[in-house]
Amino acid sequence: MGDGIGFWLEYLTNGKHLAWYASVQYTLIAALIGGVCALLFGLGGAALKRSSIGPLRLIGSAYTNMVRGIPDVLFFLFFPLAFEQLIELLASRSVCSAADLAANVGVWPPCPAANWLLTQTEYLILAGVSLGIVYGAFTANVISGALNAVPRGQLEAGRAFGMSNGQVFWNIHVRQMWVYALPGLSNCWLLLIKSTSLLSLLQIVDLVRWADRLGAPNFNRSAGLIHPDWRWAYYLALLAFFIVLTFISEKVFAALTRWASKGMAVGAAT
Amino acid sequence: MEFFAPILHDISLFARPAVFNLYFALASIPIGFVLAVFVALGKASKNPLIARFCQGYIYAFRGSPFFIQLFMFYSIMLAFNLPLWKPWGIDWFVLHPLFLGPTILALNTTAYTAEIFYGALMTVPKGEVEAARAYGMSRWQQFRSVIWPNLIRIAWPAYTNEVVFLFHATALIYFTLPVIGDQRDLMNTAGELFEKDYNAFLHFSVAALYFLVISLCIFYVFGLIYRRLMRHLPEPPRVKFAPRWMAKA
Amino acid sequence: MKRLAIAAAAAFVVLTGAAYAQTTTRIGTEGAYAPWNFVNADGKLAGFDIDVGNELCKRAGLQCEFIQTAWDTIIPNLNAGNFDIIMAGMSITDERKAAIDFTADYSPPETSSFLSAAATAFDYNALKGIKIGTQGGTIQAAYADANLKDGNTLVSFETADAALADLSAGNVDVVLADNSTNQETVASSGGALKVDGPQIPIGGGVGAGVRKADTELKTKLDTALAEAKADGTIDKLIVQWFPERGPGPYYKK
Repeated sequence: MGDGIGFWLEYLTNGKHLAWYASVQYTLIAALIGGVCALLFGLGGAALKRSSIGPLRLIGSAYTNMVRGIPDVLFFLFFPLAFEQLIELLASRSVCSAADLAANVGVWPPCPAANWLLTQTEYLILAGVSLGIVYGAFTANVISGALNAVPRGQLEAGRAFGMSNGQVFWNIHVRQMWVYALPGLSNCWLLLIKSTSLLSLLQIVDLVRWADRLGAPNFNRSAGLIHPDWRWAYYLALLAFFIVLTFISEKVFAALTRWASKGMAVGAAT
Repeated sequence: MEFFAPILHDISLFARPAVFNLYFALASIPIGFVLAVFVALGKASKNPLIARFCQGYIYAFRGSPFFIQLFMFYSIMLAFNLPLWKPWGIDWFVLHPLFLGPTILALNTTAYTAEIFYGALMTVPKGEVEAARAYGMSRWQQFRSVIWPNLIRIAWPAYTNEVVFLFHATALIYFTLPVIGDQRDLMNTAGELFEKDYNAFLHFSVAALYFLVISLCIFYVFGLIYRRLMRHLPEPPRVKFAPRWMAKA
Repeated sequence: MKRLAIAAAAAFVVLTGAAYAQTTTRIGTEGAYAPWNFVNADGKLAGFDIDVGNELCKRAGLQCEFIQTAWDTIIPNLNAGNFDIIMAGMSITDERKAAIDFTADYSPPETSSFLSAAATAFDYNALKGIKIGTQGGTIQAAYADANLKDGNTLVSFETADAALADLSAGNVDVVLADNSTNQETVASSGGALKVDGPQIPIGGGVGAGVRKADTELKTKLDTALAEAKADGTIDKLIVQWFPERGPGPYYKK
């Protein structure tokens, strides 16, 4: 028995497994970048939707309705590729010679010097921003609704006290908005961390990719331990990991809701 | 017109793959709907065992990514192939993406829909249920006459959203399950066409167009159903300021 | 505005790319095809391709770095410039030669064979009604598509590992792959798998892929390869990674 446990402990902490555990950082980094971007895009989108200028309202409306029609996977795959192509297109205008461009019609990139080498770090940042854009649309809806839910009387009281528009907005409107926005924001955050499982589609070697490699049956002695298909066990571990992440996020948001509802006349207030 | 030629050509290329996405969605919606009612009722049950089980099921499937659920179920089914499916002779069926895809999707959507139905169940007006009990209706009659109509009306808008998200989730299926023969779905096709000529803007946009159009159709159809469900309520006034001959008497 | 955008783009490209793009030669490999290229128990890339690559780089005086990339986009990635050489057990075929150039082969031309479970038997002269697994984008997949499609189901997998997993789970009946790899798999499978049926010659040896424009790099690699073949280094590596193939000689006269 002791031999068995010792073997498993050693196997589960060999270099390949340690690389798997370390790849959690990609999930967390992508989730954090995505979360911050989603909040920024959400605030921007909500501002656009409430703007007094018609065309801006249209843009805001189109942005928030985008996620109702397009799967997040599609946008997630599209944005990094499109961004890379855009940068390479701009670069090729200045770096490529006319002869190169003529010779390479229909080939991408237009000339070798215009190629933008993307490593995992760049893909990670692009993935985070793309997650932010998609979930920013959700967040814009949530924040827009929350801004509408703040009682008008509070804003009028602020104006009556002689506060300027900006003061009313930041000190009263936004400050009181959070407690109405937090349930929706918590929902968006949970959807976002679940979407980080898609990072492997962008060639980032994340949790899912490592689980696939570690679990795939190995029939070659030189490649390591010979074992049958263990992928179901590794995926079960990933499932448990995400459920734990969800659980922790829910607890954090409950604490945030308690903080935001101090002194407010809402059911969640302490 | 020359600008539209490649777009129209792409639209024709994506037509057959779109059918696969629609099939996955249509195959899992009814099953998910029916099971969700049972799971929602189970979560609200007085029996602690059933309630805990349903609660745990909903928590597990809502708390984990659908992508990983697909991988996990496929590898579990594969692990059971030699001991179970092959001896029973059903391995060709059980491991086929056209069966497995809707199955896993149905399990997932059951959890999300059950949570929506449970929330709606909690907001059914208590007075109506008590009145039904006072009339001596059985549990089944109570459910059929009072609980179910209220539940479906309250849950319908959120359920509409869930169906659209389910349709979006079908895009993930062929990333995880094996591609047999020349079955393709929208995302597969977009990826393959992109690999050939690196035109990300064209191919992914056309795939997005298909998703958008079908999502709008789902919203429209479900909107019609909602209007029918709410037909007992007065229509909201259409024209705000009307000349006298237009205004109702 | 346009100049600002171009300047920003150029700055971005310079910051991320130029630091090492000129000095290090990047070699793309798959990392999921033991014993050619795989990730070992320490989490590092290892295998026959990696050893040959390091040997060639040493002789050619190049600073090399191995990059792991997906198999199905490996040629477009090479042409796009994301790495400079492909060493991923890639066979030399006329179809691939249309897109890229190859060095001389560093593994002699060999056959492909059918891998199947030990207890099964098929009539390989008239295959009907069975499921054939291959890795997508390989010469075996192209062969199966051209010759074995009628009456059989072709299943395409993203990696060779996935095809083996389905075979050992009984989900596909046979897997068509390189014979040398199959022999190694059989040797480690403890009698569960076997190689059966005809040996089909597909492809012309395994070579390193380079972009068509990189003639200088190709010459450097070919010179280094010729040296390594002449003094028996390649032979030694083949015997080390493919013990089932026999002691050779392969290249050393």
